[in-house]
Amino acid sequence: MDNAIRLDSIVKIYPGVKALDGVSFSIEKGHVHSLVGENGAGKSTLIKVISGAVVPDSGTIYVDEKSYSRMNPALSGELGIGVIYQEYNLVPSLSVLENVFLGYRVGGKFFPDTKKMRERLNEVMDRLDIRLDPDAMVSTLSVAEQQFVEITKSLVRNVKVLIMDEPSATLSNKDVDKLFDVITHLKEEGVTVIYISHRMEEIFRISDDVTVMRDGKHIFTGPISEVDTHSLITMMVGREISETYPERHSPIGEAVLEVEHLYGNGDRDISFVLHKGEILGLAGLVGAGRTELAKVLYGAVPKEKGIIRVKGKEVTFRNPEDAVACGIGLIPEDRKGEGAFLNYSILWNSVIMALKKDARGIFVDDKKMEKKAEELSKTFQIKAPSLEQLVRNLSGGNQQKTVLAKTFAADTDILIFDEPTRGIDIGVKHDIYKLMNEIAERGVSIIMISSEMEELIGMSDRILVLHEGDMMGEVPKERFDSRYILKLASGIKEE
Amino acid sequence: MKNMNIQKIVRNNMPWLILLAVSIIFSFISPNFFSIANVINILNQNAYIITCAIGITLVMMAGQIDLSVGYQMSLIGVTMGLLVQKLGMPTPWLILIAIAEGIILSEINTFLALKLKITLLMVTVGTMTVYNGISFTISESKNLSGFDAMFKFIAKGYVGPIPFAVLITFLFVVIMSIFLNKTYYGRYIYALGGNEEAARLSGINVTKTKLMIGFFEGLFVALGTIMLISRVGTAHSGTGPGTEFTVITGILLGGVSIRGGEGKLSGVVAGILIMAILANGMQLAGWGTYVQFIAKGIIMLAAIGFDVYQMTHRKIVVDKTTEEKN
Repeated sequence: MDNAIRLDSIVKIYPGVKALDGVSFSIEKGHVHSLVGENGAGKSTLIKVISGAVVPDSGTIYVDEKSYSRMNPALSGELGIGVIYQEYNLVPSLSVLENVFLGYRVGGKFFPDTKKMRERLNEVMDRLDIRLDPDAMVSTLSVAEQQFVEITKSLVRNVKVLIMDEPSATLSNKDVDKLFDVITHLKEEGVTVIYISHRMEEIFRISDDVTVMRDGKHIFTGPISEVDTHSLITMMVGREISETYPERHSPIGEAVLEVEHLYGNGDRDISFVLHKGEILGLAGLVGAGRTELAKVLYGAVPKEKGIIRVKGKEVTFRNPEDAVACGIGLIPEDRKGEGAFLNYSILWNSVIMALKKDARGIFVDDKKMEKKAEELSKTFQIKAPSLEQLVRNLSGGNQQKTVLAKTFAADTDILIFDEPTRGIDIGVKHDIYKLMNEIAERGVSIIMISSEMEELIGMSDRILVLHEGDMMGEVPKERFDSRYILKLASGIKEE
Repeated sequence: MKNMNIQKIVRNNMPWLILLAVSIIFSFISPNFFSIANVINILNQNAYIITCAIGITLVMMAGQIDLSVGYQMSLIGVTMGLLVQKLGMPTPWLILIAIAEGIILSEINTFLALKLKITLLMVTVGTMTVYNGISFTISESKNLSGFDAMFKFIAKGYVGPIPFAVLITFLFVVIMSIFLNKTYYGRYIYALGGNEEAARLSGINVTKTKLMIGFFEGLFVALGTIMLISRVGTAHSGTGPGTEFTVITGILLGGVSIRGGEGKLSGVVAGILIMAILANGMQLAGWGTYVQFIAKGIIMLAAIGFDVYQMTHRKIVVDKTTEEKN
């Protein structure tokens, strides 16, 4: 048995997170090897270690049984390792030919040998059975065709191991068939393919082997014939949900937010009801349209059609200002880019949304604001030497608490949390959960988007599952089961 | 801790300290530099620049740059010149029309930036040429005059010992300082400069805020132009262009970050005065206009360089503190 790549005890630690925790497994030459795991399982970090984009803290990478303690992009390229990321690395304004040979010299020092390039391109495309016009501008191609350009680009460079990160995520079913034909051809050429996908049926269709990752640990590697959907999902989710979530005693009241057949921002036909004091979870994989839905509900992106009712009144938001006026608040996923004003103080941040409401005429009531900020920082347990501290200098958890305080200060009573604990230390996560429960007990209704199944199940009263912009179902508390929810999120709708 | 406080005071008043240093240097070169007459003279010469700078400061605090200011001034100037020379329009009307025109010109820029979803910088690269062309066309490149005594009083009159222009400029600075620091509209401008997307998602109406900034920019540019034309006595298309350069450099020297979100109006006043004293000094030293261009350009680059340096330097400091916490 020949291994294309073998990993031995790879460890990568980020502040607060063990992204890779002693991962060891091998990838057989000429096989299609699938890599599966939940969001945050460590798949991305792993492929970055192989491609050289990330340097591991310890461990050994074997390529063709030659050992390396680390890779770098140039070296991995020389060894014939290529990666196709979800975001393509193409120049839209250049032709297929130019893109394929971008940064790869064929011919003399100054003048490229276009004829030779063309021959080589045609030869590779013939082998893979890809039909593309070498002179077509990349911007005129479909997403699938652009992917073929990427694949061709790798093959022209004599790639031996091709890593594909969610290649099917943006493709239609028909294009996926075409992609699989190409992958089959790649296999015939002796190319090893590492295939990352969330779609179970694809994994079973295309793979020879499969590796399961969870929480940065290697769980399983073996032939695909040894597993089935059920056992794969069980391995991905793993342990039973631990009881670390604080209890909440809030009576669930009347409907405060009703959404009927809502379309917009890539989401289709979404309907649900949110009640007072309730936490509604929003589950789905990357690209399921959860953040997109949040932006529509918050007026940051206009809806296309459908009805949104807040406290019984139908509303149409032109911008977030309208949504805030109706009592809706958003705690964005990108805390630093969209949530906080990093260069300003905690005091400044925490009252910015309350300034107008509590103003005397057009003048800010500074004394009142200072008092308010003090109360907020107590309520939300923001730990800092003073309120004058710049938010830039706070830890992730305290930044999140500041954003939360800011949103809460606007008297919002429907809060949308987008990944509330992403990048936050485990100890502080618990604080955030407690705060969410406390405000729910005060009668605030919460929509929580999360990619962590455990967190969703631990915190939510109900869970709404999205898959590629479609609503797959609404799961009541008594039916909470991570396997069931993950199945729905993967687009499998069966009992 | 005490060290920190002194550092903070120094950093917050940097423009005034530089102004002080520059003044002391020049008082050695020219003994009567610190005379009351000379100080009042410098203030009076620069009142119109400071007034314009108030408007541009709001734009820059929100993280944008307007290059068309000088050409707006040119167009506003010749409009007033035409109205007075051809129609003999009385001064109160001239002032009102100038203000209206200023607001319209700067709102055209704002509107285009919003609709085309590009930066004000890009828009004004285009509109500056348009405004310039209109100005030369309607004035036929002629000197326009005929302003009455009332109009001339704006820049040449005195209230007691203080020039009228200095007095109203001082008032403008005080009022707009209060506006920026004490009203929620002012905070919104800082919010836009600090993080526009966070501002939008905080429920701040970014479009309205930008239109408001455009309003004030136009207002103060027009007021500045009125003061300038009153000083010069005649209007010509060539009067105005170039001011944007002095204003932007002064604002940067005054502590407003090129990325927006930082700075104070009082600092901007100091920044403009630094530019004025340096220009004054170069004149005294007998440097020609073109050599002064070279010097001013270098000062501007230095101001931007210092701004960027401060940003990166601060980042490093922050990284250290977080490490300590961990």
